[in-house]
Amino acid sequence: MKTWIPFSLTALTQRPAAGQPTVNATTRGSGKHVCSGVVRRYLICSYEHTTSRPRLIGFVSILVAIACTAASAKVDLTTLPSRDTVQLTIYNSADLTLARESRALTLKTGANALQFSWENTLIDPTSLEMLPKAQAAQIDVAELVYPPRVRNLGLWNIASKVSGKVPVEITYLTSGLAWRAYYMGTLTQDEKTMRLQAYVRVTNNSGEDYENAQTRLIVGKVHILDEIADLARRQYPYGRPGPVIQPAAEAAPAVMRKRKDAPERLRELAEEAVLKPKEIVKEGLSEYFLYTIEGTETIPNGWSKRLLSFDIDAVPVVNLYKYEEERYGSNVTRFLSFKNDEAHKLGQTPIPDGDLTVYRTAEAQKHLSYEGRSSFKYIPVNQEVELDLGAVADVVVEPNLIETRTDNYRFDNRGNISGWDEVRVFSVQVRNTRDVPVKVEITRNFESPHWDLQRTGQADGFEKVDLDTVKFTVELPPRSQKTFGYTLTTYYGVRAEDWSRSTR
Amino acid sequence: MNATRRTLIGLLVLLCAATVTQARIKLVALPERAATVIRLDNPNATLIEEERVLTLQQGLNKVDFSWKGVQIDEDSIRLQMLDHPANVTLLSVSYPPGESALVWEISSGGDFAETVRISYLLRNIDRLITYKAVANKAETFVDLKSYLILRNFSGEDFDKARVLLDYGEAFEQGIDHEETKQMLFLSEPNIPIRKVWKFDAATLPWDPERLDNQNVGIPVSYEIVNSKTGGLGDFALWGGKARLFQQDGRGGTIFLGEDNAALVPVGEKMELYLGDSRDIVVTQRKMRDAQINPRRNNSNQVILYDTDEIITAKIENFKDSPAVLTMIQHIPGQWDMEKCNLKYTKKDAFTLQFEIELPARTEKGPAVQELTMHYHRRNVRPGEPPMPPVPMGRR
Repeated sequence: MKTWIPFSLTALTQRPAAGQPTVNATTRGSGKHVCSGVVRRYLICSYEHTTSRPRLIGFVSILVAIACTAASAKVDLTTLPSRDTVQLTIYNSADLTLARESRALTLKTGANALQFSWENTLIDPTSLEMLPKAQAAQIDVAELVYPPRVRNLGLWNIASKVSGKVPVEITYLTSGLAWRAYYMGTLTQDEKTMRLQAYVRVTNNSGEDYENAQTRLIVGKVHILDEIADLARRQYPYGRPGPVIQPAAEAAPAVMRKRKDAPERLRELAEEAVLKPKEIVKEGLSEYFLYTIEGTETIPNGWSKRLLSFDIDAVPVVNLYKYEEERYGSNVTRFLSFKNDEAHKLGQTPIPDGDLTVYRTAEAQKHLSYEGRSSFKYIPVNQEVELDLGAVADVVVEPNLIETRTDNYRFDNRGNISGWDEVRVFSVQVRNTRDVPVKVEITRNFESPHWDLQRTGQADGFEKVDLDTVKFTVELPPRSQKTFGYTLTTYYGVRAEDWSRSTR
Repeated sequence: MNATRRTLIGLLVLLCAATVTQARIKLVALPERAATVIRLDNPNATLIEEERVLTLQQGLNKVDFSWKGVQIDEDSIRLQMLDHPANVTLLSVSYPPGESALVWEISSGGDFAETVRISYLLRNIDRLITYKAVANKAETFVDLKSYLILRNFSGEDFDKARVLLDYGEAFEQGIDHEETKQMLFLSEPNIPIRKVWKFDAATLPWDPERLDNQNVGIPVSYEIVNSKTGGLGDFALWGGKARLFQQDGRGGTIFLGEDNAALVPVGEKMELYLGDSRDIVVTQRKMRDAQINPRRNNSNQVILYDTDEIITAKIENFKDSPAVLTMIQHIPGQWDMEKCNLKYTKKDAFTLQFEIELPARTEKGPAVQELTMHYHRRNVRPGEPPMPPVPMGRR
């Protein structure tokens, strides 16, 4: 406590610059606020103190009642409202978090002012909003003033027809908190199924310690105009009209500082983690998916936390191999394919984008072999997933041009060539040297949209993808090979016109 | 007051019987500024009108008006006599060298305490508008709030001024130099909205399978009509940054996105882009592009032809709720449609708009709609690019 008390008092008695309302701290913060999570808080502060970290004043609010105008009155501090609860909604497509705090203010009838400061945090001051959660009709949050020549400070002027405790909700956007999804896949030895474990990792570099915060994660692509971190660092919350005056370079916020180790804190976090794995509740909202982590989380500034999102055993997978010279070169590329649906024991929610590491069970003792690394794009419910594991050499596709000739020449009035056909015969050999069955897709692109194709041999499927692309599919048992062929006739000049007429 | 603060606008009345060429004498008490009006009705400039009482004596009076450190457009300064306009006349205006000041020479027909109105354009004081809209969970209504942001970086403090916008009542507000104030000035609950998903074939990739592990987001917007039936319609909505939230059904909200709203006159629509949906997937492909009906010159060269083109688009809704996708297709030049399996409207000669209704996905899989357009471009000249250029998305 010794470290914490002066630390917090300094924050409370911080004075705005000359010309601004003077704040006299006549009472200290409620014991509840300071003491909630005392040990944890003490440790953090103690650590920060000894590492001479730029002091985090954080998000301090002071309720003041004023007798006359805010600009001239002597202001008496009447109460310090504590942060009762905090909820964080963290986005992964942008550096953005919506924070929602509830606090109980003590208002007096008449004019009240609430002063907020957010030094060394990454809060966007233009996003600050305060809403009374009771007796809203009696309480008018008239204006939010960003006083001149004071940074990171706002003053809410509140006209209240009631006096006493009023719960309020304060919301704001902040930068510096992030989360990402990542995955571990473990294939069975026969590669027919894969255990899929999904994790989320939440990181707090916001400059603020969030204790016991309800943590929610948003999956989705949000559109923002300005980076929240840029808004947080502005000299004036809404900028200024006229020529821009560059402020002097600032000390980097708490984000940049280095931490050594904090063994006690680490142990604490580990203990919290092993008590029981937390559930994550998932639901769709608008174009987003909202993951709500059970209970609350404490994520001190600078720390990350990993949580299990889901763990599905035995997701049926297909070993899919693709060959397309124009896209992948002459090697075959390996994919793992499955569907985000109930048949694959998934399909409850979309799968957020993230990296995947794939292992394979190597033997009965459950030793593992590393198969490759891939990444998920965002997979909606019921959509097919194709995970690219990179080029391989154990499945081979060899297309060979067997024969080429030209035919059906046409000549114009002056005896020049005006059209012809080009006929090419291909043989494609597909070899599976692996001890598991595979499915191979061979995509062929043509240089002309005027063509006919005749197929021979052992292809299992054929599809015209678009006007100049076709796809063959071959399924191969372990250690086997198949050969298929096709004859491609492309038409040029007036022969293309003939083709257009004949195929209409 | 900070020691580095710039000075205020000053006004000195010099009573002078001497000649105009006499050096200016800086003396006499400043007449107090009376009623001050800050007019913010023009988004390009802020007009200040202030009234002061000048004690004039019969004959020639000199009034010194200076604005050191204050960003006044000096050509905009006007002086208006309010009490005795017929007997008090402004004779000339002189600008002393190297100073932010001017000297009015006023001829007065008697000894008057004359109320004058000085108006001028003041730079670096303005207003912004921001919006905050909170949608209900079903995304059918929003509670719309609009905030007025006053920013004063003009160099001048205004202790008390009447602030005028282009509509609504004037209100009294003081604002100091370098001060910013945010005030709620519109709060309208339950404004109906329409949620729009839009795929424009000219700007979005056609075939997501051809992209390496990337999602194609379909832009999603809210449309709000500035009309009485839409809960608004009293005045044009100014442009400004709009932040959109949605109720989460548990007493909280999530942030949906933000966009810049343009000025919306009464009766017009405000469209706010939220973000992209990755749960609606469009796979568009060209399945045929052939030349037909060639016409030749005497050298047997094709000089004119038509095309035979087929475009297909598969639209899949992976959402668990229905949606209406607005799909924009483009066909350049002269064209006619041979067959199209979905209804469309022509937005202009080259633009087709489809409204495609997509049910929610079922247990069996996504809801799927397929579009097939079979059309002909007519009288195409070889080698000449079509007008407008063929938009092909990022194929």
